[in-house]
Amino acid sequence: MRVRDSLDILVVGGGSFGTALASLLAEIGRRVRLWVRREETAEEINKNHRNSRYFPEQELPRNLRATTDLAGVIRTAPIVLTVIPSRSFRQVASEIGNHIQGDQILVHATKGIEIESFKRMSEILREETCSLKIGVLSGPNLAGEIMARHPAGATVASRYQEVVDRVQAVFRSDRMRVYGGHDVIGTELGGAFKNIIALAAGAVDGMGFGDNTKALLMTRGLSEMARFGVALGADVFTFGGLAGIGDLITTCASPLSRNRRVGMALAKGEKLDDILTRIGQVAEGVPTTVAVHRQAMAIDLDLPIVRAVHATLYEGVPPIEALADLMRLPIGSELASLRYR
Amino acid sequence: MNDRDKERVLIEVEHRVMEEYCRDPRGIEHTIFDTLYEERRRLETEKDRKTARVASAFYDRIQSEAVRSGPERQRELLRELTRSFCQEVAGHFDPRVYALATRAIPPALNALLNTLSPLKLIQSLPNGLSDMGDQIEIQGETEAFKIVAGLGTIVLVSTHQSHLDSILLGFALYRLGLPPFTYGAGLNLFTNKLIGFFMHNLGAYKVDRRKKANLYKDVLKKYAGCSLELGYHNMFFPGGTRSRSGAVEKKLKMGLLGMGLDAYVHNLLAKKEKPDIFVVPCTLNYHLVLEAETLIDDHLKEVGRSRYIIEDDEFSKPKVVLDFIRKLFSLNSRIHFTVSRPLDVFGNQVDDQGRSRDVRGRIIDRTRYVFQNGKPAFDSQRDEEYTRELAGSVIEAFHRDTVLKSTNLVSNVMFRWLQKRNPDVDLYRLLRTGGAAESAPLAETYAGIERTLSVLRRKEDAGHVRLDQTLTKRDPAVILSEALAHLKSFHRRPAMARRGDRLFHFDRNLILYYQNRLAGFGFHEEETVQ
Repeated sequence: MRVRDSLDILVVGGGSFGTALASLLAEIGRRVRLWVRREETAEEINKNHRNSRYFPEQELPRNLRATTDLAGVIRTAPIVLTVIPSRSFRQVASEIGNHIQGDQILVHATKGIEIESFKRMSEILREETCSLKIGVLSGPNLAGEIMARHPAGATVASRYQEVVDRVQAVFRSDRMRVYGGHDVIGTELGGAFKNIIALAAGAVDGMGFGDNTKALLMTRGLSEMARFGVALGADVFTFGGLAGIGDLITTCASPLSRNRRVGMALAKGEKLDDILTRIGQVAEGVPTTVAVHRQAMAIDLDLPIVRAVHATLYEGVPPIEALADLMRLPIGSELASLRYR
Repeated sequence: MNDRDKERVLIEVEHRVMEEYCRDPRGIEHTIFDTLYEERRRLETEKDRKTARVASAFYDRIQSEAVRSGPERQRELLRELTRSFCQEVAGHFDPRVYALATRAIPPALNALLNTLSPLKLIQSLPNGLSDMGDQIEIQGETEAFKIVAGLGTIVLVSTHQSHLDSILLGFALYRLGLPPFTYGAGLNLFTNKLIGFFMHNLGAYKVDRRKKANLYKDVLKKYAGCSLELGYHNMFFPGGTRSRSGAVEKKLKMGLLGMGLDAYVHNLLAKKEKPDIFVVPCTLNYHLVLEAETLIDDHLKEVGRSRYIIEDDEFSKPKVVLDFIRKLFSLNSRIHFTVSRPLDVFGNQVDDQGRSRDVRGRIIDRTRYVFQNGKPAFDSQRDEEYTRELAGSVIEAFHRDTVLKSTNLVSNVMFRWLQKRNPDVDLYRLLRTGGAAESAPLAETYAGIERTLSVLRRKEDAGHVRLDQTLTKRDPAVILSEALAHLKSFHRRPAMARRGDRLFHFDRNLILYYQNRLAGFGFHEEETVQ
């Protein structure tokens, strides 16, 4: 039945996470293709089995092949998984939209929101393609650890059961547990929101406070994430899952997290612009803070930690004062604002 | 629908319902008793005792047999129930009347309208029925509508405010040169013998909304679906009922709406030559709504609870209907019938060649949405989600093509003035008492009209809503006087009226009703109360 060169899945995006997911899928025996923008990258992957820009040390699985021909490869893939940074997401989505058909499944693994419009990635996919069977894959998944073959878990959410089933099936292995759900909004917002909390967690570390403080911050941060999510239509329980607290733990604990490093530098008194120049990469939490802060005000929702991070980033409030302000806020019942009405 | 097709539909509906319910053998008995239970409850409140007795006898027999029989016989009893619902929905059909009615649509329509107004209506108008045409402004994507009606089968979905809607829709279709659409009409439209007679024979089938049994609802849905598959254009109100609050529909009945997709997949599987089903949203907008008083009353009473069906509203009194139409005519009031861009059953817009387009305007091969392993297939969970997508597009179209009138605007201004003046008074109290001040200074009203109008104009420029012609003029005095002329003309008492340099509010419920049309546009959202 199958055409000889048909695939199980196409991964779009040869960054660190895209490469890691494609490698994992190749290693567990899936017929996978990796689409990359640059010809050199494709050639390096196909000839030398390396993506030296992101993983200079590691050899990629030999059965992982890359291509730059989106039109040619997209026809052969029943599942398309896009792993593209949020800032170039819309453009790549539009290219996918030139070729994808309505029976194909379109899933993304991008954590972020479009700043100007406050659109989630699945909303962008809906606008830029004809796809309806859209889903999101999210969870505590550091690319480096996946490349190092550490056991991991994630969650796939879609309103379409078929999407959930098919994505679970394609990842089924002893390397990765992919749980299923239907709450697309919550799954996407969790992945974006956690970066704001990571900034704050970095600042807490930078100020020299210990685990008590950080646990307080993460827990109350989770509460804000959930309140924000529920206000936008998410299911509160999603935030207790891998895409919520799971991802939050990883991001706030990992020394590799860029957002956390920005927070630490801020606490040491460095200026935001200098930090971003020095790090040289995008810290997704910085623009996300602006977007979430604006959106929360628009829907009249009070999120003290987001407010504090925003004040630190853009209003010149030193982190130590922002934290002190948080500690002085009136205290209510811990879960009151989260309970179902 | 012709005789033979009607029979085909009935056989197919019965077959599909039976197939669905007999898939689980234990479900048969359950369905029988569930249906009997729901029907008995309904019969308790049935006013027509004779009908009730006949029905009760029938259900008693089914019940006594069902308790004594095994699965085989129960299956037949379920079939009997299904068939009785089918017969009732389809009504009695007389091909001679059909031939007559279709050949002579204008007279038939005249007859329809005349029954509302035994000759008096015609006599009261200088140019008879031709005035009716002048009164209804047909606008929007009418050409695309006509084109896709030739390319496939149409599901026309309309906003719903008044019982007059169905008659006006029929009239608009006639004016567009389209054949009558199959249409599920509420029982109360059949109580008038003559209207009912023509309703049946112009493709209307009977919907008894007091019947709550799932079996009955499935018969209705499948009746619509099967008629679509046979190529009969359908029309229905996806809101399910007239908007009680006065607002544009925000929630739609998914079951019926999903029949378009269901028919489409059936058509693809049957390899029909013209398998396409197109969904065409449209809106009807009036300055005044005939049943406004009872609707808003019902809305306020029943907010948050399951509503009862009003049988005895303004529409059941021909004299009131006549009076209403005559008033509208004398006020030179225009009714807007606006056709939106046709959609496919997945909610994508369809171009003038009948091709689906994505948000960016690229052509879509829509058959692929229902493909599984290279073939069309059903998937109930997937199809529900597709229908949700469609519902979203329909709701968007409803809002975009709503034509706001001076009555809506002025009511909104007055209502917000009342709320602002009485910040501590709750809604129900405010509606009842009117708060502290019984009138607003005219100057404030004018300023309010200008402010609101500027917001509405921006919405119109962005393509989010349409404005009636009076509103495109900039003179608040003209807008106010047009609104007041309407608001004082028909309802039992004027909603508001001008005395000297002040504007008095009398019927706050009506003010709320007419201003609610502005709800759902992201406009003064916090201040529009539904």
